Amino acid sequence: MITIPPYLKKGDTIGLVAPAGYMHPDKMQTCLDSLEDWGYNISLGSTAQSNSHNYFSGTDTERLRDLQLMMDDKNINAVMCVRGGYGMSRIIDDLNFKKFVKNPKWLIGFSDITVLQAHVFSRYKIASLHAPMAAAFNEGGFNSIYIQSLKEALEGKAARYDCAPISFNKKGTASGILVGGNLSILVHLLGTKSELKTKDKILFLEDVGEYLYTIDRMLLQLKRSGKLDKLEGLIIGGFTECKDTERPFGKEIYDLIYDQVKEFNYPICFGFPVSHEKENYALKMGGNYSLTIEDAKVVLEENISEEENEKHHS
Amino acid sequence: MNRKDFIQNIGALSAGMALPADKNWQSKNDTAHLLDAGDGFKKPPYLKQGDIIGITSPAGAITLEEMRPAIAVMESWGYRCQIGNSIGKKDFTYGGKDEERRADLQQMLDDKNIAAIMCARGGYGSVRIVDGIDWSGFKKNPKWLIGFSDITVLLNHIHTHCHTAAIHSKMTNSFPDDWATAEPIQIETILSIKDALEGRKTIYGAMPNPQNKLGTGEGILVGGNLRTMENLSGTPSDITTDGKILFVEDTGEYFYSIDRMFWNLKRTGKLKNLKGLVIGGFKVKQDVDEEPFGKTVQEIVLEKVASYNYPVCFDFPVGHQRANFALKCGVKHRLQVENEKAVLIEI
Repeated sequence: MITIPPYLKKGDTIGLVAPAGYMHPDKMQTCLDSLEDWGYNISLGSTAQSNSHNYFSGTDTERLRDLQLMMDDKNINAVMCVRGGYGMSRIIDDLNFKKFVKNPKWLIGFSDITVLQAHVFSRYKIASLHAPMAAAFNEGGFNSIYIQSLKEALEGKAARYDCAPISFNKKGTASGILVGGNLSILVHLLGTKSELKTKDKILFLEDVGEYLYTIDRMLLQLKRSGKLDKLEGLIIGGFTECKDTERPFGKEIYDLIYDQVKEFNYPICFGFPVSHEKENYALKMGGNYSLTIEDAKVVLEENISEEENEKHHS
Repeated sequence: MNRKDFIQNIGALSAGMALPADKNWQSKNDTAHLLDAGDGFKKPPYLKQGDIIGITSPAGAITLEEMRPAIAVMESWGYRCQIGNSIGKKDFTYGGKDEERRADLQQMLDDKNIAAIMCARGGYGSVRIVDGIDWSGFKKNPKWLIGFSDITVLLNHIHTHCHTAAIHSKMTNSFPDDWATAEPIQIETILSIKDALEGRKTIYGAMPNPQNKLGTGEGILVGGNLRTMENLSGTPSDITTDGKILFVEDTGEYFYSIDRMFWNLKRTGKLKNLKGLVIGGFKVKQDVDEEPFGKTVQEIVLEKVASYNYPVCFDFPVGHQRANFALKCGVKHRLQVENEKAVLIEI
């Protein structure tokens, strides 16, 4: 049984942390303003207002403590990671989930934060929110349908996302639990206790700045570790800023991915708006969704159970 | 003593300690001829004059022209070279289509006239064909498989599936163009392949490094390219490292990525029960856009193994660099790390 953390209501508090890379406070101001506009209170963690001068927002101990505090504090209703970068892998095994399991709350983020979300889902069956982080609110982003999708997800509104069909798609319908995230991170977690089980699930993948051959190798790793053959459906998000080697790989990104997954019979869509670009809908790792892929449309629709709805409105 | 002198003096003490001849090892009908490499691992028969080395490219493309120097040198050692069908083929970055590369490797694995297989070069591609290989012939009649970098896929796969020793070393594209003018380290490292193939036990030294963790450990040697090993995690080619000596090397990776890969090693249980850890060359890619990572490779490694007591040796001459000596994976070694010297001895 999957635990869906309580949705937020006006007056609830969102804790902001930077468990991986450093982020300058100026770059998260629009995000803070927006969250307040949405009716939430803000609690800034020490790592979200750090004066670190290196890559990380703080030492491992500082980042661990800040995230642990936010996860455990009963007055914090959701934890938003302001950015990814790199660093979750360094602290994940030192986090204590005892209190969090008793009082689960939404963990918001993506990219490096996939480590935390995959871990929490595979170990404790607690859903989390793969969604835009602080920088995505800047440059008018706060008005976008993608940031709005985060707002609605936090409020407990069932999502319905459309995506333009493209020729690589494999038609069909699928229903099931959605899991996924950043491809580099998902393969990095293989063989560890944080790795995702994907049987009978809808899997979504995205990545940024990788060489084409590296993406090929990572997809093969997923395949060879048995993560692709028993899916209900597959959602290929943005694979942006792909790099190529001096000797060209010889395939475009969707060609390459299609070649790796064409043997499977489940529905597959390409170019879904989940990515490191501004096209990045909020998706619930552990949520229940239906995926419909037709010639003329692609729809990912969330099924929020009546029980959840009752809980939410009680 | 500078590094080069040291390697010449100690680095390649590929001492002429030939193995006692095993009178059975020319019999090719069963596995009785195979030498026991320890802990259930088998050593393929060593090579003798006139034996054939097959050259194939399971990964990147290479031309026959590019491997002329390698062929000339190996022929001067008294071997014959058989050029596989994948050589000279080119499918973008690959040495031919997956099926062409797979069929070429398969043919060489099964051909009883071929005594060893040298992979022509690395690149990317071994993982695309490894599951299509039928290893049953190789298991019955194992032969030395030679390569590194992307070839780590094959080295680790046969380690796990065939319990057979293999050689981690330079490939055809690393032989010096002109043997006469080549630098000593180039010659020493290429000759280390010959020594390994002929069954001489190897002893390699590394420059002492104040960061080394002192001690002695004995176990089967296993390892290779760190990135490639992370990409084998969770797959059928993944290795176990309990009771073994692990070596790793890499090139062109960012600090954060190296750190993350060592976390993968640790979190998949590959650092816990080692007898020793050997760190080869790490050419780090600098990220100009980001703040400094703030840790050296040595610090990255040491923090992962802080709670373990086995010896750790840095700057070992293995990797994407000139000082890249032939290592026998799947063979028992002793790692001795002392203040004044660090040596890896085949036992």
